[in-house]
Amino acid sequence: MIISKKKDRGKLLQTLDRYDSFYLIGCSECASLCGTGNDEALKEMAEDLKAKGKTVTGMIVPKTGCQTLGTKVELKKDKDALDKTDAIVVMSCGAGTQSAVEIYPDKAVYPSNDTMFLGNMTRFQMFDERCTLCGECVLDMTGGICPVTNCPKGLLNGPCGGTKDGNCEVSAEIKCAWVRIYERQKRLGELDKMTEILPPKDWSAKQAPHKLYTRGDAAEGDRKDKK
Amino acid sequence: MSFKDTLESGKFVVTAEVGPPKGTDIATMKHDMEILKGKLDAVNVTDNQSAVMRICSLAVCKLALEHGLEPILQMTCRDRNRIALQSDLLGASVLGIRNVLCMTGDHVSAGDHKSARPVYDIESVQLLQVVNALNNGKDMAGNDMKGATSFFQGAVVTPESNPIEPQLMKFEKKVKAGANFFQTQAIYNIDNFKEFMKFARKFPVKIMAGLVVLKSAGMANFLNNFVPGIKVPQELIDEMKAAGKEKALDTGLNITARHIRQLKEEKICDGVHIMAIGMEDKVPIILERAGLL
Ligand code: SF4
Ligand code: SF4
Repeated sequence: MIISKKKDRGKLLQTLDRYDSFYLIGCSECASLCGTGNDEALKEMAEDLKAKGKTVTGMIVPKTGCQTLGTKVELKKDKDALDKTDAIVVMSCGAGTQSAVEIYPDKAVYPSNDTMFLGNMTRFQMFDERCTLCGECVLDMTGGICPVTNCPKGLLNGPCGGTKDGNCEVSAEIKCAWVRIYERQKRLGELDKMTEILPPKDWSAKQAPHKLYTRGDAAEGDRKDKK
Repeated sequence: MSFKDTLESGKFVVTAEVGPPKGTDIATMKHDMEILKGKLDAVNVTDNQSAVMRICSLAVCKLALEHGLEPILQMTCRDRNRIALQSDLLGASVLGIRNVLCMTGDHVSAGDHKSARPVYDIESVQLLQVVNALNNGKDMAGNDMKGATSFFQGAVVTPESNPIEPQLMKFEKKVKAGANFFQTQAIYNIDNFKEFMKFARKFPVKIMAGLVVLKSAGMANFLNNFVPGIKVPQELIDEMKAAGKEKALDTGLNITARHIRQLKEEKICDGVHIMAIGMEDKVPIILERAGLL
């Protein structure tokens, strides 16, 4: 899931001060799990705005904010409230925010959150980054533990000299990704994989902005593959 | 004789480290170079060591050459992508720099520009392969170059790393990737180091033991607590303590000299790499006490 966190509320309200009325859009998926775009978060935002003397013309928690077409259909139902508003505040990730920009090209759209990373919710509202979307997955070679993400240096060929008692040189709170990979591969009897030199990554696979079409006859693959 | 030839001849080699200063005043560094001239087989020039911004390694390697010292260019992957790394290597080559030490590099979080974007486009093992390619007249993308490099490339290893197995596996990868010599992270326990050498001797590479001069018992404790991969045994800490404040540095120099003697006499490894960290001018004293001058 995409992990987001609330922007500093004071600063956000300052930024929004140039408008008088707002419509709030959350998201029932990641942003709800993060507590940044669920009903409760939207209500809190509405109260904060009202306390500043602003009007909230309406609010919605669409099913999937980054699903542009579906969100567009959901927003249609609230056309009046949206027409009335000066600006839209999107309380999901950066992708959800840009859905709203696409749907309402003539309205100001503001994000209420900072979009942080792709991660797992390990416990209630505790998130760990797991994948940096490198576009060329090496988990098959690394015991299912991602060194691109879990090693701050993204090393592909084993630990640096900074491992200290199995922890990472960057922070004692992080276990060295390569020690984890070693231990897991040892358990799996796959240590031979640790002797194979992994080649430099093809970072062009990560080059934004990506496009991917996989639908039937329109399937064109990644933008990069098209070239 | 070049560093490469000396090392390959089987002679016990000695290298030391010069850390470029932060700023353009290079008077002290030049003075240190004068002192070290003629006493070392080569001198390592660190590359923004500990991720602290300083004069680049390449420029200081050139200065070392001008001062009659053979430089080893330390190259980390922290600050440059594959284009910049290769381009700097070609630059080093035309300036007459023949040795390169391929490293991943300390993370920017250790340094004085913590908000910098670390690069790590490639890493130490892959950088060794890149040097090989350049030596064969090809760049990393497989393009032909007009004129090849002829680097003698080395790498680093941490014999006291915990756990040691993944570190040794990486060592093996570095050998496979073309490392000719290794300079180790600081070692203080010669018996442990012998164990490491039992493993390392299986490979056709030269090993130089890294030695960091202790300045005080406090420094030894600091190394143990905060520097990964370094373990100063209690006996040495006690020895430093017993020496008292006045004689601490002198004792530290003695310990380093004693270790060099033992490593050489017992033929434990192929040479030593002395990291004096700010006391480069004391290196000749160590060498004298070790019977190498
Ligand atoms: S290797 Fe790449 S795609 Fe696979 S988990 Fe890591 S970052 Fe994600
Ligand atoms: S200690 Fe391990 S996780 Fe941390 S930077 Fe080094 S290899 Fe990566």
